[in-house]
Amino acid sequence: MSTFTLNGREIPFEAGETIMQAAWRAGIEIPHYCWHPGLSVAANCRMCLVHIESGRQMAMPIVKWDEKKKAYVPDTKPKLTPACQQTAGEGMVISSESDEVKRAQASVQELLLLNHPVDCPICDQAGECKLQDYYYEHQSTAKRKLTEPVHKPKGVRFGPTIVYDAERCIMCTRCIRVCDELAGDHVLDMRERGNRNEITLAQGRELDHRYTLMTEHVCPVGALTSRDFRFKARVWFLKSQEGVCSGCATGCNTHVDFDPRYGKVYRLRPRDNMAVNKFWMCDDGMMTYRRQTEDRVLAATVGRGDARVPAFGDEPFARAAAQLGAVTPNKIGVVLSAQHSNEDNYALAQLAKKLGTTKLYLAKLDAEREGWVADAILRSADPNPNTAGARLAAGGALDETTEDLLQDILGGEVEAVIALGAASLETLAELEALTKLDAVVSLTSHVGALPATASVVLPVASVFETHGTFVNAKGAHQGFRRAVASQPGVEPGWKTVAKLAEALGHDLGLGGLQDIRSKLAAAAGAGATAGGAEARA
Amino acid sequence: MAATVKVLTKPPRTLADQAYVPAIASGLRLTMGRFFKNTFSSREDGEIVTLMYPEETEAYPERFRGIHRLTQRADGSPRCVACLCCSTACPAQCIHIEAGEYDESDPRHGYERYPVTFVIDELRCIFCGYCVEACPCDAIRMDTGAHMPPSTSRDHFLYDKETLLSLPGRDGSYLTANPRHEPGDPSHPGVDRERGH
Repeated sequence: MSTFTLNGREIPFEAGETIMQAAWRAGIEIPHYCWHPGLSVAANCRMCLVHIESGRQMAMPIVKWDEKKKAYVPDTKPKLTPACQQTAGEGMVISSESDEVKRAQASVQELLLLNHPVDCPICDQAGECKLQDYYYEHQSTAKRKLTEPVHKPKGVRFGPTIVYDAERCIMCTRCIRVCDELAGDHVLDMRERGNRNEITLAQGRELDHRYTLMTEHVCPVGALTSRDFRFKARVWFLKSQEGVCSGCATGCNTHVDFDPRYGKVYRLRPRDNMAVNKFWMCDDGMMTYRRQTEDRVLAATVGRGDARVPAFGDEPFARAAAQLGAVTPNKIGVVLSAQHSNEDNYALAQLAKKLGTTKLYLAKLDAEREGWVADAILRSADPNPNTAGARLAAGGALDETTEDLLQDILGGEVEAVIALGAASLETLAELEALTKLDAVVSLTSHVGALPATASVVLPVASVFETHGTFVNAKGAHQGFRRAVASQPGVEPGWKTVAKLAEALGHDLGLGGLQDIRSKLAAAAGAGATAGGAEARA
Repeated sequence: MAATVKVLTKPPRTLADQAYVPAIASGLRLTMGRFFKNTFSSREDGEIVTLMYPEETEAYPERFRGIHRLTQRADGSPRCVACLCCSTACPAQCIHIEAGEYDESDPRHGYERYPVTFVIDELRCIFCGYCVEACPCDAIRMDTGAHMPPSTSRDHFLYDKETLLSLPGRDGSYLTANPRHEPGDPSHPGVDRERGH
């Protein structure tokens, strides 16, 4: 492989790669604003200027202050090159730390901050802002401009999700390129020039495609902010955990940002994974954190309708076991969930095996009913994160859905139900047949139609509160990790299933997460480790 | 070294000690003397050193900070922009702020956010003054020179936004020293697209 030298270090590169790309892959950051690994090259911020010391040198004539002569004298300086645009060449000797380059970086930085309002205290980007970081790294000088900065519009509503602040904007055009190149919707552009330059919407349009939050994600400064996250938290209080989006079967990798003081999840951010989502996520995926944190089931309940009362300790398990025990075991229908992890589904499938029932069903969300629209960018046709995983846990095709369950109940083949998850194709009215059964045990993290029919509801942890694995539409097993603690008494699904099994007099023999995963991996064969993030305990 | 023992002899009891009455009389003389002095003289005479607290209070030294207050703008709104710098700096974690946004029709929209709630738990506060140092816009001060009035409930020490705004500084002022020209103020250059720059 060809190499070039950057600051005395050999960097390998592939033909056609730019200096920036090769350095980024090697883990070296050349300071930049407008360059993004997933977008085209704009080379307009000039922060990534480097000095190519090999080859023919171009000199720019300048004037320089001479202290002895007390006058400006003619001089030259080397012409610098933007690293993001310059294709790497064999044997190039490049410096991004020489005095000329440092001076250029400091000057660019000073120019960008010339009219910046420096309203960091009220800016949501503060704490993760490149202007802040690079100021300390590359400038650290006081402001020389004494006049009033140019004022531009602030708090401009770009659409239902994004607010724009022109004063903070550095015109890197990343947001324009995200709309053009990722979403394929040229809704943003620039207007005016120089210090009046600002991002503007296409006439008669709003920023309302399915990837608007990515404009905020790529914005290196606080110019674009998410209306959802705006003013909710300061980022320096947030910690991050690896997650997998539960919005659809693509399984985009996420950072789950939460405040450890309150155990509250505030937002999702895409986590780079070239095999799955590259650098991106869709708006609906970004907002799944809401669905996961709202409408939770936090305590066990027993009974239906007005007679539904909370139950504590072992009581709900004992009640569930008593209700299920009154039915012939092979007439118990077991509903796995495409919204729950492999581990939860595996535990429930094992319980079905122990009970001796072969009546397995799959509860999932329906794309049409949910208003879910697939696209060729990221959004899968299946709005369930783990359909493949649930099938894997069941050890079969598992084509039977909750519709078939209703048929079997009406046909008298199923007299009791153990159901995982809150999601189902049907509404509560359509699930009426379930309410006629004496024993419907629902293990759920959220309220929904399925748990509403249950005679016993057992709470389980949500995806932010437990470790787990999803299998995406391409068969990649992707682990997510616990971000926040669950409420006392709320345990992961597989543990709750094991407890229920114990109350029914069965031992599932689940050693722990690792044990379940190795059994699942054996069942899945070689495909289990394909794809990006591996499952970790 | 051998221990040396010094033997002390007990002073002999006199007849007056033995009788008790003269000793009681001399004690009562001191007590009654103080009783009449306190009853008939005043603090100005220099005879009395105690205070009738809480009706009377001692003037605190000039550098005493006192409880917090929130400063106001000229229009009476809080100067605070809910940046959470104070609650970040607070070592006792006694400041709770929820930020909100000015309405889109408000001229300050975009420039400012404001505290929807601002609560200081004065019992948890250690009065270190870090919040005042952290404040970028002179919105929180500790210059009231007063301490919290005693109360019977812990809830009374959770000072909310309105309470903090209603406290004057030692000099009687409510206004911030850092008004900064706000959109809508005559000193502000104007920002919207229609009016230009």
